[in-house]
Amino acid sequence: DSHIQYERVGADVTMKCGSMDWDAAVTWTANGTDIDDSHLNGSYLILKNVDLTQSGQYSCYEGSSWHLKYQTYLRVGTPPKEPVLMCRSNNYPKGFYCSWHLPSPTYIPNSFNISVIHGTREMVCEKDIFPKNRCHIRYLQLFSTVKYKVTLTVTNALGKNSTSLTFDEFAIVKPDPPESVVAKPVPNNPRRLEVAWQNPSSWPDPESFPLKFFLRYRPLILDQWQHVELSDGTSHTITDAYAGKEYIIQVAAKDNDIGTWSDWSVAVHATPWTEEPKHLTTEAQITETTSTSTSSFVPPPTTKICDKGAVVGSGAVAVCWTAGLVLAAYGVLFI
Amino acid sequence: MAAADTPSATTLRRRDLCSRGIRLARKMRSDVADLLDIYVERQGLDASVSVAAVEGVPAAAAEHWSEQTGTQRLLDNLAAYRAFRALLAQMLEEQREQLGDADAALGRALAAVLLQVSAFAYHLEELLELESRRPPGDDGDGPPAPPRLSLFEQKLRGLGVLRELAQWAVRSVRDLRQLARPGPGPSSAPGVAEGQ
Repeated sequence: DSHIQYERVGADVTMKCGSMDWDAAVTWTANGTDIDDSHLNGSYLILKNVDLTQSGQYSCYEGSSWHLKYQTYLRVGTPPKEPVLMCRSNNYPKGFYCSWHLPSPTYIPNSFNISVIHGTREMVCEKDIFPKNRCHIRYLQLFSTVKYKVTLTVTNALGKNSTSLTFDEFAIVKPDPPESVVAKPVPNNPRRLEVAWQNPSSWPDPESFPLKFFLRYRPLILDQWQHVELSDGTSHTITDAYAGKEYIIQVAAKDNDIGTWSDWSVAVHATPWTEEPKHLTTEAQITETTSTSTSSFVPPPTTKICDKGAVVGSGAVAVCWTAGLVLAAYGVLFI
Repeated sequence: MAAADTPSATTLRRRDLCSRGIRLARKMRSDVADLLDIYVERQGLDASVSVAAVEGVPAAAAEHWSEQTGTQRLLDNLAAYRAFRALLAQMLEEQREQLGDADAALGRALAAVLLQVSAFAYHLEELLELESRRPPGDDGDGPPAPPRLSLFEQKLRGLGVLRELAQWAVRSVRDLRQLARPGPGPSSAPGVAEGQ
């Protein structure tokens, strides 16, 4: 005779050994381990103030024969707290979905029931296979002023709880973030970055229900974002980037007329185009004078960028003016 | 080949009218939203109060919206805005009777929206004429006069009118965008869309 028994955390639990008399000699085990007689009242097993660790299989054996007389699986848990419910349309105008979760686990199985009412009409919310805590509804009407009311009830063996949401058709529209965001430098333009993206694939009809976009960008070294709102198109050229600085860029989307902004897209990084550093002249002395310049850059011994007549200094410290200026400039950059 | 790709004069005119109509509808929606705020405050109503469907107020809600032809969209819109024109005129009259000049702000806001509704209705007539459809006659009488309502009922009715008008403004943007899309023409049935 085996079954499942659900009890609340903190409860006192009394288990009877099936049909055995109170004064029968029995042995109780928990997950195969003998239970001390101090927990027995006659043949009854008494568990006071149970906690989660006491979940398990409890078995009762007749004293001398060790015949199994009773078995139960004790599941210690809690009744459900008020569930958290959210509804959103990321595929307007097709429909919307609702998803839910419990704020804290109950440690025992729960079942969920959701009802959706639109005016006087009850609508079916089809449960998704994955994730399990989600269902979706197709719109039967568009542009309705009548609100939707969604009620979620969660039930387990120890109790039930519920929550409701009431909303307008427009209020829950929130697209998924834009996809495939790419950012690249523009050749020969040290202050530009070209950014392109695509509509979220979940948005079913961007031609009839176009999205607008919000782009934000900043150099990694700063905390302040720049923002640009774009009413059409899926690309934008940033024209005020700091030369040579790596940028972080994100895009968000919103229906042109209703609803709220999506979450930000995955961030992309890009650095504006910079001119390749020219190689410096190679007087033999230049390579020996790196210890006296502010730069650690050592020019290769091939490219000449100054005349001998422009050399300043002498001996191991001789550099030409131009090389010196270039060295100084790179030195500032590399600090 | 180039000629085949060039939109016709009618198509270009339609797109232009639709584009301007979309801008009108958006502006109207914005002003109706502001008017709703003023109305709720001046009439002492709770903004979240539910109002049952009001007789004579054209409902924006549409089933099978994506399957409508362009002509049907225009006709539905025109009928709606003509009705709103009469309803808003009625509200303006009631507001003047109740409050006189005591609430000029509400009166001005109502009048401004009424003007936009009239302009939009005219715009829709232009679009219909472009489709070689004579707009249905406008007898100007609007919906039949409702039974005499209490003051509170009048206020709730007004709220219902404005809410439905706000919804229509959004729908009109969508309708005009559909109309402006390249396709076989406004009289032809569009492809049946999945879901709506």
